[in-house]
Amino acid sequence: MSPGFLLIHAKPPRAAALTLSWLLFVGGITAYLWVAQARHRDNPEDRVTPTVAQMAKGMWSAAMQPAEEDEAVSVENATAWQQFSRSMLWKDTRATAKRFAWSIVLLIPAVLIGLHMGLFPFAGVFFLRFVLFFDKVVALSLLPILFIAFGIDEMAKIMLIVIGVAPTIILDSFNLTRGVPPEQVVKAFTLGAGDFTVAYRVVLKQILPRILNSIRLNLKSVMLFLFAGEMIASTDGLAYRIALLRRHMGMDIIIPYVLWVALLLFLVDLTMRLVNRKLHPWFHEA
Amino acid sequence: MTPLIRIEDLFVAYGTPAKAVLAGIDLDIVEGEFVCVLGQTGCGKSTLLRLVLGSEQPLRGRVRIDGREHKQPDRTRGYVPQKYSLFPDKTVLDNITFGPEVSEFNLLTRFTPAFYRRRRALREQAYDYIRRVGLRESDAKKYPDQLSGGMQQRVAIAQALMTSPRILLMDEAFSALDPTTRRDMQQWIRELWSATGTTILFVTHNTDEALRMGTRIVMLAKESPDQGSRIALDFRVPEPCPEEDIPRLSRQIERDLVPL
Repeated sequence: MSPGFLLIHAKPPRAAALTLSWLLFVGGITAYLWVAQARHRDNPEDRVTPTVAQMAKGMWSAAMQPAEEDEAVSVENATAWQQFSRSMLWKDTRATAKRFAWSIVLLIPAVLIGLHMGLFPFAGVFFLRFVLFFDKVVALSLLPILFIAFGIDEMAKIMLIVIGVAPTIILDSFNLTRGVPPEQVVKAFTLGAGDFTVAYRVVLKQILPRILNSIRLNLKSVMLFLFAGEMIASTDGLAYRIALLRRHMGMDIIIPYVLWVALLLFLVDLTMRLVNRKLHPWFHEA
Repeated sequence: MTPLIRIEDLFVAYGTPAKAVLAGIDLDIVEGEFVCVLGQTGCGKSTLLRLVLGSEQPLRGRVRIDGREHKQPDRTRGYVPQKYSLFPDKTVLDNITFGPEVSEFNLLTRFTPAFYRRRRALREQAYDYIRRVGLRESDAKKYPDQLSGGMQQRVAIAQALMTSPRILLMDEAFSALDPTTRRDMQQWIRELWSATGTTILFVTHNTDEALRMGTRIVMLAKESPDQGSRIALDFRVPEPCPEEDIPRLSRQIERDLVPL
C-alpha cells in the first residue's frame, strides 16, 4: 500500500476493501465476546451480557416455542415449520410486519399529495403551509392524544407512524415534483397530454425512483414510531417483546431480537433497492 | 397571405420593480416559413418562444395562432428545448410514440384491442422516424441517457413531429452540441423542413446557424438596458444561401442590421 493510502485519491485494493469493511463488525463482536467472557468469569449467573450459547438457546426457544401468554400446544409430531408458525418470534414478527406494511401503504396518499402540491398551484397553496407546520410537530408528543382519540388498538400505532413520517414524504415528493424540469411538462402538453397524464405518466414516473429512495431512507423512522407505539401499548410485536423482556433482564432474547429487527429492516431496504433498480433501469443514483 | 402566427404589440416584464424584457413586438409569420430569432443573451428570445408556445402570457398584446389565442401549450405547436427534451424514464421508441398514444387514448381505452392495433402502427411509424433521423433500429430500446446529445435532439425532433404539429418551436436546440454534430443537425433539420413544410421558429444566438437554416431572420435587441427588446432586424435570407456567402452576410447582419 502506498504511503498516500489515506488521501483522497487512494484506491483501496479489493482484498483491503473487503477486510476493512468487515473490520468494525469483527471488532464489535470480539469486544462483546471478551466482555461477556470476563463478566461470566466473575459471575457465572451474569444476565447482562449473555454468551453466544445462551443467546442461541434463547433465540431457539423464541423461534420454536409459543409465547408465555399463549396456551402451550402439543408439539408431538409437529414439524419444525409448524412449531415455528406457533412460536413467539413468528407471532411478534407477524404483528410488527402487519403494522409496518399498513403504514407503508398509508404513505402512498402522502406521495400523491406531494405530487399534486408540486404540480397544481391551488393544491400547493392549500397544503404547503399546513404540512410545513405539521412537519415540525414532534410525532411522539402526539402519542397520548392518539391513544385517547383512537384507543390503544392498532389504529393509534399506525396513525403515529403516518403522522410522524407522512409530512416528510409529502415534502420530499413536493420538492422532487418541483425539481422536474418545466421543459418536460411543457413538452408533454405539446404532445397532447392533459393535466393528469402529465402528473401521472410524466412527472410521477420520473420521481418514483427517488420517492422509493426517500421511503427507504425513512424506514428507520417508520420503525422508530412503530416501536414507540408497540412498547407503550401493545400485546404483541417485536418491540412489545423487547420491552417485556427488559423487565426480566432477558438479554439472551433481547439482543437476538434487536439483531433480528436490524436484519429484517436491512432485507426490506435491500428488496426495495432491487425492486427500484428492476422497475427503473433508466435511473442512476447520484 | 394570412399569417399563421400573428404577434401584436407584445409587452413582457419581470421582477419588482418590473423590468421590461420585450416591448412593442409585432411580427407576422406565414405558414411554411423557417424563422430564426437571433439576439444576445437575455434579450428575450426564449421569452418570445414561450409566448408563442402559450406557456407564458404577456402583460400586454397578444399572440394569435391561426386567428386564435392559446392560453397554454397544446399539440398544434411542437417544442424542442435545449435541454431535457426527452422523458428520461422512457425508451427512444416510447418517447417517440408518447404523443399520439396520450392524445388518442385515455386510461380506459388503453386496454382495448384498438389501442394495441394503433400502437403497432405507431411503432412502425416510430421506427421509420428512427431510421430517418439517422439512428439504428437497435437504438429504439435505449434510454435517453444512453444516447449522445445530437442523437437525443434528433429523437426529440422526431418525437415532436409524430404529432404533426403545424408549428415547430426550437429553443437553442443545438447549442449544447459539438460543432460537427451541430452542422449535421442544421443540414438535417433544413432537409426535414423542406420535406414537411412545417413552420419553424428557431431561437439561436448564432448568426451563421440562422443564415444556414432559416428563410427569415428576426433579430431582437435593446436600445438601452432599461428598455425591453424590439425587433431590430427582419431579414429575408437569400434562397439558397451559398455557404461561401455566410461569413459575409453574418458580418453584415451584425454590423449594419440590413433592413427588410
